[in-house]
Amino acid sequence: MKRYALFLGCMIPQRLPSAELATRKVFNSLGLGIVEMEGYTCCPDPILARLMDRRVALSMSARNLSIAERQGLDVVVLCNGCYETLWEANEFMKRGENSREINELLAKVGRKYKGTINVRHVVEVLYKDVGIEAIKNQVKKPLGLKLAVQYGCHLFREVSGGDIWRKPKQFEELVSATGAEVVRSDVDQLCCGFPTSHVDEEFSLKHNLLPKLERYRHMRVDGIVVVCPACDVQFESGQLALRRYGHKFSIPCLHLVELLALAFGVPAKELSLKFHRSPVAKLAARIG
Amino acid sequence: MVAICGGEIIEEAEIIELLEKNIPDGLLSVAKSRARKVSAEIAPGTIRKAAGTLLSKGARLIVIAAVDAGLDVDLLYHFDLAGKVVVLKVKLGKENPEIDTIADLTPAAEWAENEAAELCGLRFKGHPKPGHLVLSDKFPDGTFPLGKPFKSKLPDEIGPVAEAVITVGATAPISSLEERRRVEAGLPPQPPASYSSESQLKEVHELIRQTNFSRQAGYDWKRKKLRG
Repeated sequence: MKRYALFLGCMIPQRLPSAELATRKVFNSLGLGIVEMEGYTCCPDPILARLMDRRVALSMSARNLSIAERQGLDVVVLCNGCYETLWEANEFMKRGENSREINELLAKVGRKYKGTINVRHVVEVLYKDVGIEAIKNQVKKPLGLKLAVQYGCHLFREVSGGDIWRKPKQFEELVSATGAEVVRSDVDQLCCGFPTSHVDEEFSLKHNLLPKLERYRHMRVDGIVVVCPACDVQFESGQLALRRYGHKFSIPCLHLVELLALAFGVPAKELSLKFHRSPVAKLAARIG
Repeated sequence: MVAICGGEIIEEAEIIELLEKNIPDGLLSVAKSRARKVSAEIAPGTIRKAAGTLLSKGARLIVIAAVDAGLDVDLLYHFDLAGKVVVLKVKLGKENPEIDTIADLTPAAEWAENEAAELCGLRFKGHPKPGHLVLSDKFPDGTFPLGKPFKSKLPDEIGPVAEAVITVGATAPISSLEERRRVEAGLPPQPPASYSSESQLKEVHELIRQTNFSRQAGYDWKRKKLRG
């Protein structure tokens, strides 16, 4: 059984535990093992926390990576932000001399990171390590849904010169594997607005989220699929916040792993979809 | 470079040694910052001992500069010791910006302390003649022309994130309500994050301390909050 060190990050356990549940169920169905990362910290957050201080950010990331390295496992992440932070820190630490300063800090708390593991987004693991056919084989309830996909900005992070559409395309294929129709529009690549919401919530709602929601409503999508809890929070809480400005939306938004769990036949009640602030439970009821 | 002290020559290394010997506990750092200059940072409670040590060797107070750095006021006591500049830096927290006077040790400090007091809001305990120097006596109390807002250099938006990351190692820790909801969902009350283990959190705190970030950000480890 292939095993991974599961990096839950900050937001999934707090705001989207249904995705945590779904991950465990989906990985179990696919014969993948999960090992907990005891004592992990924030990745740290790629927008604000990384601006605090370079050495703090890198040493916290490297400490997280060292936890997985001790287990001899690659890290799998469910969040685009965690992916970018940890992936970039891993690339940095693998460049020998760069890592010395950070490893000196880690040594003071009895740790070391040698750079022997990889950071993988759940999209990559499902697409590459499992494969679309194996995913299709697990689908018990083909989803006759019309779904928009929110790639999320950090999903495009790629090695220099690499194909930035590699993971977004894999994401689309995984959604299609459930039997759902992926609908595309010219707002798909627009940031959801979560990062700017820390600075100017109204701006992020009106200039990022609103154009996306208007387009998706016009396209009559059944829901929006994300691979990042920050995007999910922005889509779900943002729809409620937009009511203050006279805009009413009620579009379900859920994480890819939750969508897969539903397609694999996991009963909705086992996923605690009530954690969602958009009508995901209603969407699940339609699937049956 | 060497200097003459009371007719004797004194080198920078000897000045450093003098400070190390006389204020062993209060000397936070000391170095020859350039030719003919020694810079030291000392604990606020040791200013009289440190100044007295230099003065006893024939040093002369040149000036006291006060620089409001947001969370602290840096007091820079410049001395001339036989042609060499010795700067004693004291970081004074703005929560209680009080320090012992040295005006009774050297009269040159009297006006300098008055000026720092009225412009930056400091208090010099035991000052022989407190009062305004450059400002009018009618200048309103509690207004300090060179005082800055009590805040760190971190941008406002980053403050709460920095505080959470330092305190619990996470930007979004689990509340008791969320713990209950997780249990209802069949999950452990907390994920295996650093904040769920005392020993792991201790390790994270030590790592952050080692980066010196908590000091730069003005984190108060006792109150578990950013100062300011």
